Amino acid sequence: MTFEEAQRELEQIVQRLESGEAPLDEALKLWERGEELHRFCKERLDAAEGKIEELAGRANAAKP
Amino acid sequence: MKVEAIDYGDRKVYSVGAFNRGVSSWLSRLPTVWVEGEVTELRRQARWASVFFTLKDPQDGSCLGVSMPRGQFDGLRLELADGDRVHVYGRPELFEARGEFRLRALSLERFGLGEHLAALERLKRKLADEGLFAAERKRSLPLLPKRIGLVTGNDAAAKRDVLTAITTRFPPANVLVAETYVQGPRAAGAVAEALRALCREGVDVVVVARGGGSFEDLLPFSEERLVRAIADCPVPVVSAVGHEQDTPLCDLAADMRASTPSVAGRLVVPDLAQLLERLDRSHSGLERGARRSLERERQRLERTHERLGRAPRLLLERGRARLEQSAGRLRALSPKATLERGYAIVRSGDEIVRSGRAVEAGERVDVELAEGGFGARVEETR
Repeated sequence: MTFEEAQRELEQIVQRLESGEAPLDEALKLWERGEELHRFCKERLDAAEGKIEELAGRANAAKP
Repeated sequence: MKVEAIDYGDRKVYSVGAFNRGVSSWLSRLPTVWVEGEVTELRRQARWASVFFTLKDPQDGSCLGVSMPRGQFDGLRLELADGDRVHVYGRPELFEARGEFRLRALSLERFGLGEHLAALERLKRKLADEGLFAAERKRSLPLLPKRIGLVTGNDAAAKRDVLTAITTRFPPANVLVAETYVQGPRAAGAVAEALRALCREGVDVVVVARGGGSFEDLLPFSEERLVRAIADCPVPVVSAVGHEQDTPLCDLAADMRASTPSVAGRLVVPDLAQLLERLDRSHSGLERGARRSLERERQRLERTHERLGRAPRLLLERGRARLEQSAGRLRALSPKATLERGYAIVRSGDEIVRSGRAVEAGERVDVELAEGGFGARVEETR
């Protein structure tokens, strides 16, 4: 799953929950899935940030 | 003509006259040609049948005696003076009586600046008609040349100017210099050959540079073979020959024309400092861009997450509120509230009594009140 796919699914879940149409059982399941997606997305962003820091550090080191 | 020799045993010997006649007859087979040079030592006397002068090559000083029938010479009314440039049409000849070689002139034309210009103009028109100077033939210079060729004179200030301009703007430039004649009769061929040699060395742009000079100094750069060599050059050529006002034909055939050698140098390389600065800007933009997009995604995820956290609680609250509402309605519907207001429920056995006709006098009934109840007996029915 890509970051964008996870992000999209997460937003759809939130919309469904906010509409109030989901029965309680389903709502709880959606919540759980939403938290899972949030964790996944956050990990991806943390990894991206790490990569940026690494590249920036390497670029700085290469400067005369 | 048969030349008789005298035999001395196995040695063949010619008389001077026979030798001269023989050489003369050989020379007479040579074709009639045009020869260009400067007139010197013009000798003309009324009692001579011919006019004599020496034709001198202004480049290397070579001399050639020329004779021309006096009547013909006078008829031309050229008023020649020493140093005048002429074209002589004639054939080689030996003056047998003296064994002197000379050019027998049949025709003679002054060849001055005007004639030069006219000849140049004719060549220019011919090459233009061929499309040699067409704008669509011009190639653009490489942005970052790997190897630059420079054709120039061996001690020329032009060379220094080009090299200085190149290395100032782009210190790591790789320049291959071909020093050659840039003046005189050998220049056109030499420059054309230098061009080809540089191309074999793998240059990807060539500068032809020569400082200012007299009109005649720059003439080689208008010679057809050089102009063609520039047009045919497989890589782009920048021409920086003479000053702004001179336009030798090689300027027209080149892909780009520079007004001075320094300008040519600046044309062929990019400004390294500027290039680095631009690269630096893009580089920091790259990092900023990456951080910005990361930050954007993070905020978006955070907002979505907050909404996710709120949504189930909201749902629960809504459920709870709905439940309360139902409980309220349930409570409103229960008979308890009615009994509080003073009503009583009368039951006969398990049945609720709703009509007087449902019971008989003397029958026992149960009465339920808001608080407790009692048993009773029916007195009468109505």
